[in-house]
Order: sequence, then C-alpha cells, then structure tokens
Amino acid sequence: MRIISGFKQKGKLLLLTSLAAFTLLAGCSSNAGNGDGSASSKDASATGNGSTEIAFYFSGSQNVQELWGHLKEMYEKKQDKVKVKLVYIPSGQGEQATMNRIVAAKRAGKDTVDVDLYEANGGPDLIADKKDSVFEALNEQQIPNLSLMNPANMEDVGHKAVPYRSSSVLLAYNSAKVSAPPKTLDELYDWIHQHPGRFAYNDPSTGGSGSSFVMTTLYKSLPEEAIHSQDESIVQQWDPGFAKLKELSKDMYQQGVYPKKNQGTLDLLANGEVDMIPAWSDMALEQLNKKLLPDTTKLAQIEPAFTGGPGLLAVPTMSQHKEAAYDFINFVLSPEAQAEVVNQIYGFPGIEWTHMPEELKKKFDNVSVDYRSFNIGELGAIANKRWQSEVASQ
Amino acid sequence: MNGQSVTPSLPTGKSLKPSMFSRGARRSALGLVMVLPSFFLLLFMIVVPIFTSIQESLKGNDGNFTWDNYKYLFTDPAMSSSIKYTIHLTVVSSIMVLVIAYLLAVFLRFSTGRLAKWIERLYYIPMFIPSVIATYGMINMYGNHGWLARIMLLFTNEPFMRIIYDYKGLLLANLWFNIPFATMLLSSALSSIPNSAIEGAKDVGAGKIQIFIRIILPLSFKSMLVAATFVVMGVIGSFTAPFLIGPNAPQVLGVAMQQQFSVYFETGIASACAVFMFAICSLVGYFYIRSMMKEER
Repeated sequence: MRIISGFKQKGKLLLLTSLAAFTLLAGCSSNAGNGDGSASSKDASATGNGSTEIAFYFSGSQNVQELWGHLKEMYEKKQDKVKVKLVYIPSGQGEQATMNRIVAAKRAGKDTVDVDLYEANGGPDLIADKKDSVFEALNEQQIPNLSLMNPANMEDVGHKAVPYRSSSVLLAYNSAKVSAPPKTLDELYDWIHQHPGRFAYNDPSTGGSGSSFVMTTLYKSLPEEAIHSQDESIVQQWDPGFAKLKELSKDMYQQGVYPKKNQGTLDLLANGEVDMIPAWSDMALEQLNKKLLPDTTKLAQIEPAFTGGPGLLAVPTMSQHKEAAYDFINFVLSPEAQAEVVNQIYGFPGIEWTHMPEELKKKFDNVSVDYRSFNIGELGAIANKRWQSEVASQ
Repeated sequence: MNGQSVTPSLPTGKSLKPSMFSRGARRSALGLVMVLPSFFLLLFMIVVPIFTSIQESLKGNDGNFTWDNYKYLFTDPAMSSSIKYTIHLTVVSSIMVLVIAYLLAVFLRFSTGRLAKWIERLYYIPMFIPSVIATYGMINMYGNHGWLARIMLLFTNEPFMRIIYDYKGLLLANLWFNIPFATMLLSSALSSIPNSAIEGAKDVGAGKIQIFIRIILPLSFKSMLVAATFVVMGVIGSFTAPFLIGPNAPQVLGVAMQQQFSVYFETGIASACAVFMFAICSLVGYFYIRSMMKEER
C-alpha cells in the first residue's frame, strides 16, 4: 500500500505540474511581445585605442548568425580601425523591437541611437522609413562596392538599404523522373494533373515555400501591381485562385496532404515520395551539397517567378558611426565576402555574378535568381486562414 | 487552535507574546516558509496565467467584453470540427492506452517468463526519447516510403495505407508516448497487491476471473484513475507529433491554438481555446482529486 500512496502524492504533484504546463501555453498569449531588445548596448562607441565599434543588429536563423560571425572575423582580421559588435535576435523573438527602437528614437527627437547597422526586413521597415525617414540614403561615394551591384536592385529599395544577398523559392524536381520541368504556372498545373500524387507544397502558414506557391496562384490573373497592395478589398479577387487550389488538391501528394514546414516537402522529395516541390533556393542548395537530397535533384524557376526576397542592410540616420558602418558594408559587398554568402548559407550574391569567383559561377550556373517580392502585409494572414478553411478542410 | 492560547481567560494565564515564539509556532512558520516557493510557483505559473487567458479570451479586438471568441470556437466549422476531432482522438487513444498498459502491467506482474523480464527492462525506453525524434522515427517507419511500406511491398502491390498525416498516425504516436508511463503507474499498483491475498483467494476456491474481478481490479482501480488522468491530459495537450504528422484539417486543438496565436495573431481565440482545454483538463482533474479525497476520508 505504501507504493500506492506514494504514487498518490506524486500524482498530485505531477497533476499540478502538468496543469502548469497547460496554463503556460495559455499564458503565452499575454506574454508575447515582451521580448523587446533589452540586449541594448550603452557602450557601443569608441573603444579607446583609436578603433570604432559599430553595433550591428540582425536577426534570422542560425545559419545567418553563423555567417555574420564568420564575416565579422574576416573583416576584423583585415583592418583594425573598425570593430563589429554583433547583436543577434533570433527570428520570432522580437526582431521588430529594433526597428521600433530606431523609429521611437527618431520621433522622440533624439539625435543618437545605438544601432549603427541594421538588417532590415523588406516590406514593413522600408514603409516605416518612408514615413519617418530613419535610414541614410546610400551611394557609391560612401560605399564604392555598390558599383558591383545591379543598379536596379538599389533602385528597388530607394537607395535606403543594400540588398546584400537574396534567396527565392524555386521548383525543386527529380530530374530522373522529370525531363522537362514546367516553365510557366499553367504548365506546372498541367504537370500536377498529369502526375497525380507527385507534387506537394507545404502548409502555407508553416513555411515560405508553400506560401509562395499559394500566393503565386492567388495572384496569377491579377495585375502585377497587386502584389504590392495591402488593400483588403483585393481579397475577393482571390476566389479563382482558391478555386484552382481546391481543384489541384485531389492531384496533390496523397490527395491533399500538405506537410508542415519547408523541410516537410524537402523530406518527401528526398525519399522519392514526390517528384516536384516548391522549395527555398538556399535550403535546397545546402541540402544538395550535403547530399541530403539526391544528386538528381535540380532547381528551376517558372514564369511568373515565385516569391523571394533580399536581405537588406540599412544604416540609421542617427548612428554615430556611419563611416565605419559604410566601410563594413563595403566589405560585405566585396567578392570574397559575397563568396562566403554563397558558400555558407547558399544565398544568391548581392553583387552581379560577373564579379564572383569562377568556380562559384560554374557551380550555380543553372540556378536563376529571378523572384518577385510580395508586399501584402497582413493580407498574408488572411490568405493562410482562408487556405486552412477552404483548401485544407474541403 | 492558536486562537485558544490567545484568550486571556485561560487558566495558564500565559501572555500572548511567549506563545508566539513557542516551538509549535516556530515550526509552523518554518513550514510556511517552505511552502512559499511552491505557492509562488503555483501563483505565477498557474493562477496568474489562467486569469490572464480568461481575461484575454473575453476581450474583442476593440478591447471590450465579448463572448465572440467562445462563439467562434463552437460555431466556426473548422474550429468545432477540430474540437470534435481532438475529443474523439483523446477518448479513443486514452482507452487504448489504458487497456494495453493494463494488460501489459498484469502480464509483467504475474508472468515469470523471460519475455516478461525483457519487457520489464525495455518498456519505458520511449519515455527517454525526445518527441521530435520519436515523431521522425514514426515517419520513417510508417510513412508512405517507410520501412513498413517497403516490407509490405514484398508481399503485395497494393498501395500502402495512409498512416502518417492521418488519424491512425496520431493514434500510434499517442500510444507510443503514453503507454510506458501508464504501464509504470499500473505495474507499481499491481506489485503492491500481496501474493498472499491472491493465494488465499485461490485456497478458498476462487477462479482466475474471480480473483481478477474481486481482488486485482479493485486494488488497482485507483491507479488506473490516476493513469487515465495523465493520459487524457497528455493526449489532449500534445503538439509535436500532431504538428508534424497530423492531417491538415481537422487539426488537434494544440496545433489549431498555435496557428490562431502565431499565424493569424488571434490572441482572443487562442486564449479561448486554451481556457477550453484547461476546462476539460480540470474536469478530468476534478474526478481524480475527488476520488483521492474520498480515500483519505
């Protein structure tokens, strides 16, 4: 009997702990948004011995963190005037707080902010900049290596940020099964219907590659400008797109199974359960290189292109160390640093391929770098919601 | 009881002050101090979050009081089918877990064979395997191109049935995650049943079934209730496996809640969902606590 009563006590304790676990989940709801950038640095200034320290705020996945750690090391080895202090905010843990801080400092009329360099995120940050003008306009006098870039890329962001790398969603396919990959969206639909069960895209709310397929379909017959509109009235015009997605679902993997996360579909491609998926270029290239995807896997872009986006570097106007920040950006745009971007995180270089080392050019010969950037703000959440209720649960 | 020593009319005539520092009082103060950490833990990890989520769930987008989030929970077709799905999965999984775990525990208690010994050594291994790894293992095992499908291919050309991304896969995952713990609870209950009681019953002519119904079942019923409580709560709150191998729709509540919260940013609905789950768990917990209290009386 002692054991039973022992378990009884333990049972109560465990009951309480499991209750705690549940309510923790519930509690998340009210605690989100507290993760503000408390990692702020008060002393990101001159370090005394003639060198300047710049505070660089960035976020992203672990591979991005490793890339910056590596680039910082290379840069500091090359020169001793500028030191880079990396402030990494894991994605999903309040990366927005940095931007909020910059904007708040500007609005409060302060003339300094301790962020000298900031990895901006495409849409929202540049819109915020248009309103409050918090980023410095950049030109080739400040950063000579900007001349290595395609001028259109700087044009796109109004010269307020440097698209130093990019990645896009592509079609990844098994070339042993697919000899001629589809070139347009319509050809892709035809291919899906002709090969039932051999195509999969992931649940759009869990990863950008599936979301890209969904958005590309929704905006297929809409005017080109629509992908930059955040006007909710456009939602009605999604109907044909959703009808198409519903129609496609019977020919999807297992008549409509949408795995979770970008990796979910890559796994299916890797073990041969499907022959074609939309996938992020950097993820696919990295896994090809590590032999996680079979050698027969190839990548191709369709017309109109799937979504993608650049990684942007911006210098806040209130930074006290702009010159040093420019110098670091200049280094990041140098072919040797860009080669690291390609080698380490399989991103597309920000500078033009002609300036890149020969062996890299050969390696990425067939991978196109076209992409479209959607800038639809909150509409993305609405699309996911509708997808869940109309396509997933049909 | 302390109040008595305070009354001045007591024959001892002791004043209030020394009684405050009496040994008993000191001891109870020490007890209080020792209880405080768990009290604060309870307060900040359970009580406060419950109230904030209840509060959050009753707030509309404009910040005013509303029942809309709960209405949505039960009227939105996707959400209500998720709720039904979760409850169905929970009930079926729990019954299966309990039956299997009980049979396993009985076998381990009364069998002296080599098989029982090996099972006894191995059965709790799943408890030490992280859920993500176990889930990927399940995908490799039961997936469309998994081991099982490849073995079946040797015998038949029929397409392999869909286990992963389906109800069946979730059921298997729940069995994997919950059987070891339930078995552990039940076999400790069974091992505390004295052999003498069973032998005594045998001596007076009770059959195997009678022994089971009259002695073993009643003596292990409490532990069964405990196990049921944990299994139900474990299943209803599961996230990793349903997220990775569950169907896209209907979803398990944990996955639906996460989606509401971090994809659609619907804090109110996610909170209502959490409160609903908490209500189910407290209901289960209530039966458990009530039966415990009965025993203490």
